Amino acid sequence: MKDARLLFDRVWKKFHRGQIHDSLRDLIPALARQIVGRGASDKELSEGDFWAVRDLSFEVRAGQTLGIIGPNGSGKSTTLKMLTRIMQPTRGYSEATGRIGTLIEVSAGFHGDLTGRENVFLQGAIMGMPKKDIIRNFDQIVDFAGIAEAIDTPVKRYSSGMNARLGFSIAAHLGPDILIIDEVLAVGDMSFQERAFGRIRDLANSGIPVIMVSHQLDRIAELCTDCILLDRGEVVARGTAAEAIAAYVQSHDASRMVESTGIVMFDTLELEGSGIVRSGDHFSVHITGRTSVELGDHIEPILVRVRSMRTGTLVFVTGSKWRDFSLPGPGPFDVCLQLQANLPPGSYMIEVAAEDLNLHEDIASATSVMMRVTDARTFAGHIQMNAGFSVNGA
Amino acid sequence: MTSVEPERRNSGAAVRDPRVGPPPEIRPTLLEDLRQIVTDIRWSKHLIYQLTLRDIRVKYKQAVFGFAWALLIPIAVVGAGLAVRFAIAFYSGKGLALGQVAGMAVKAVPWAFFVGCLNGATPSLVSNVSLVTKIYFPREVLPLSTILAQSFDSLIGALIVVSILPFLGVTWSWPLLWAPVLLIMLWVLSLALGLFLSCANIFFRDVKYLVQVFLTFGIFITPVMLDASMYGPKGSQIMMLNPVAPILEGLRLSVVHHHNLLTPRMAPDGFIFWRPWYLAYTALWAFGGLVLGALIFHRSERRFAELV
Repeated sequence: MKDARLLFDRVWKKFHRGQIHDSLRDLIPALARQIVGRGASDKELSEGDFWAVRDLSFEVRAGQTLGIIGPNGSGKSTTLKMLTRIMQPTRGYSEATGRIGTLIEVSAGFHGDLTGRENVFLQGAIMGMPKKDIIRNFDQIVDFAGIAEAIDTPVKRYSSGMNARLGFSIAAHLGPDILIIDEVLAVGDMSFQERAFGRIRDLANSGIPVIMVSHQLDRIAELCTDCILLDRGEVVARGTAAEAIAAYVQSHDASRMVESTGIVMFDTLELEGSGIVRSGDHFSVHITGRTSVELGDHIEPILVRVRSMRTGTLVFVTGSKWRDFSLPGPGPFDVCLQLQANLPPGSYMIEVAAEDLNLHEDIASATSVMMRVTDARTFAGHIQMNAGFSVNGA
Repeated sequence: MTSVEPERRNSGAAVRDPRVGPPPEIRPTLLEDLRQIVTDIRWSKHLIYQLTLRDIRVKYKQAVFGFAWALLIPIAVVGAGLAVRFAIAFYSGKGLALGQVAGMAVKAVPWAFFVGCLNGATPSLVSNVSLVTKIYFPREVLPLSTILAQSFDSLIGALIVVSILPFLGVTWSWPLLWAPVLLIMLWVLSLALGLFLSCANIFFRDVKYLVQVFLTFGIFITPVMLDASMYGPKGSQIMMLNPVAPILEGLRLSVVHHHNLLTPRMAPDGFIFWRPWYLAYTALWAFGGLVLGALIFHRSERRFAELV
């Protein structure tokens, strides 16, 4: 389908906190209240209501992949439920043109007493896959899930990993016009996760509109052309994946962002180039700021931390003092930091701060920048050990 | 790590506000809604088939009784009916005719079907909660497929009843052709009630228990074990207001007594207990109910995921 697209136009969604009357016993008081006129209209909030999504708009066309990120309860899954028509917006307009493939709760339709084979047909039908497509893709689905020998065993005897793998495999072979993905990348073991992600990447690269919710920011950074950051239903940041992720990490690390004490202040932190670096390449970071006094020995003015977005851990820390570099006297400074990306492919945050070495506290911090390291096919693993090969005796 | 750099670049284009203008106000008319329901169901044929198959498979897969399950309730109804009838026959001293047993056998399977449909369809949405909240598909297929699975059960029961009817003295006659008409009405009525009750059960969870109580005692206000004529002139008329009663009585009269349902029927005690308009009355319940049930279901469908 050529003009497949996802559209959200000023969508609002209201939820009710707490109990809704759901037994006949509660009906009479509820009706009485409505007759008296205390029932709220659709448009306003009454007691206990809240907006799960507020005024959200976007459009995803062919070739675009939109990521939605944000903390728990920010409205990400609600947004997807409205796109898939499971829920309707309270206000605004939501539309998905084309056959929707969802990678959400991929084994929701399974019945434990049925065999894997029977469940493939059942789940496929629930997801809207025509029968002939299921028959045609059946072998592929089973192969991809890697459960060929268990396909005629009831699903209740499957391990949870097998269950999830089969579910993912069915959903991933739907052949959709539009793909909607919600946090399914954490399925199965490591090798299956890699295969699953590869499958998603293939689907996204096939040019269909894709929308994706995930807490694995490096996956978002790798797949998404665009990204929206939501918080409590509201758009906090929108733009490229790098921009939105940077905004998220910064809001997330608000505790790490320290109010400058005035001794050191950072103005800008910029990555030279596009923010995409090949593994093993050199790149530079541009840091500007000011110092107000002569810095004592206990102040580290430029501490650099590189954080892996996949794991959230620091992979590299260095500082100007460690490298015997000192800033020229009080006043503005403009520093160029050279680094080599001896890192495996993935997304990384570069954080810059000034630290009081006696107190072990940051006394100033710059806004972080994100960079992506792409594969140069020189090594695999966690670090670059600069391997050298030579023939003995030569 | 053999990832290949995708050609697509970050653009930020998708997150620009589309602002396609004021959202269109969609207020479909009742007729459009009905058409939508029919289209939805036609598109979901394969899904309905798979869900029905699931219900049938799950029921028979690990059951010791296997297909005997389909007969259990009808046999229980006929057995209980025989006991009641025997007591009445003994008390009145008239004896128990073979035709009376045939009449009960004819009514037992449709009644079991009706009970099975309502008991199965009422919780069908709530018990498929993981589907309703996670995947979109026309929700009508859930009650519909439980009723289809129940139809399969009852078909087996019906075949067995048909095969033993000749031994109970039932022979071929033209009024037998009323039977399929009546069974279709019963099917439509069950679907109508199933749609309405499954939807009501989402909004009010105690509907399920209410239905169970009604069905348990319903056998006393429906002519299943007894015939309508046994309730007297007034009583039979009141009984026939129950939309299931004309179907069951019509089946008995046409199959066992070779009675043409377009003519009134006198009871042995000399009062009319079957009137042709009962047919129209039940048809109105069934088909009117189906339209109403489908509309109520369709209109509340969009709130299911939030309420389940």
